[in-house]
Amino acid sequence: MSSAPYPAAPAAPAPAPEETFQPVALVLAALFPGAGHIYLGEVKRGVLIAAGVLGLFVGGLLIGGIGVVDRRDNFIWFMGQALVGPVAFGVDAAHQSMFKVVDPSGYRRPARPNEGRGDKGQVVYGGTPPYIRSLGRVHELGTLFATIAGMMNLICIIDASFHAPRTRRRSGGGAR
Amino acid sequence: MTMMLPALLTAAWRPFIDPLDLHALWWVLLIPMALGVSVVYKAVRVRDLSRYWREVAIMTTQIVLAMILLGAAVYLFIEFYVVWVADHAG
Repeated sequence: MSSAPYPAAPAAPAPAPEETFQPVALVLAALFPGAGHIYLGEVKRGVLIAAGVLGLFVGGLLIGGIGVVDRRDNFIWFMGQALVGPVAFGVDAAHQSMFKVVDPSGYRRPARPNEGRGDKGQVVYGGTPPYIRSLGRVHELGTLFATIAGMMNLICIIDASFHAPRTRRRSGGGAR
Repeated sequence: MTMMLPALLTAAWRPFIDPLDLHALWWVLLIPMALGVSVVYKAVRVRDLSRYWREVAIMTTQIVLAMILLGAAVYLFIEFYVVWVADHAG
């Protein structure tokens, strides 16, 4: 019987870092895109997230105008846009209070052609609308940009909330 | 309708308030949309940020190509298959 020793077994790979719930990162990520990752020390990643999410949201405003963020008339889409955080609520508040008109029945709505906006927001017949409301594909794409920004931010909020420190992989496979 | 056009047409375009007039080129906007999705998704997904922009470029290209292929497939389905089915129905 040979007494030669068996070759040494290869070292077991290091276990993957464990995910931990980070409530502070969750709150910060919900308040401002990328803030959760910056709080966790991943500054570059947080800046990239902020640039991407806010770029999509501001891009939506640039394409479709302020009318694409509308809590009253477009509530379903606003639910997605709201995931961007207080920025979306601020834009909607500005839209409702500074650009819409209040008709004689008290309903707040976009001004129609030949309608202007008075000092208290009331309809002024014969004026110029305070903004041009987008229509068709431009409105659809502007709304889509702003809503996708919110949906992507939801991914970032979840990632910051259940955080595992990222390590560099020595070889391929899985997430790159 | 024609009464209000002069006032609106002469008003200066205000970015982020008034919409862009891109009705003829709306499809070009799908490229920055794909880029934005890739920028955010890869910021979360990529472990090693030194490869980040390469991964973003690859994902953007994949999304745009997938949309082109999907559009072509739907075009062929509507323009040829549905017409063929309609011609041979009954």
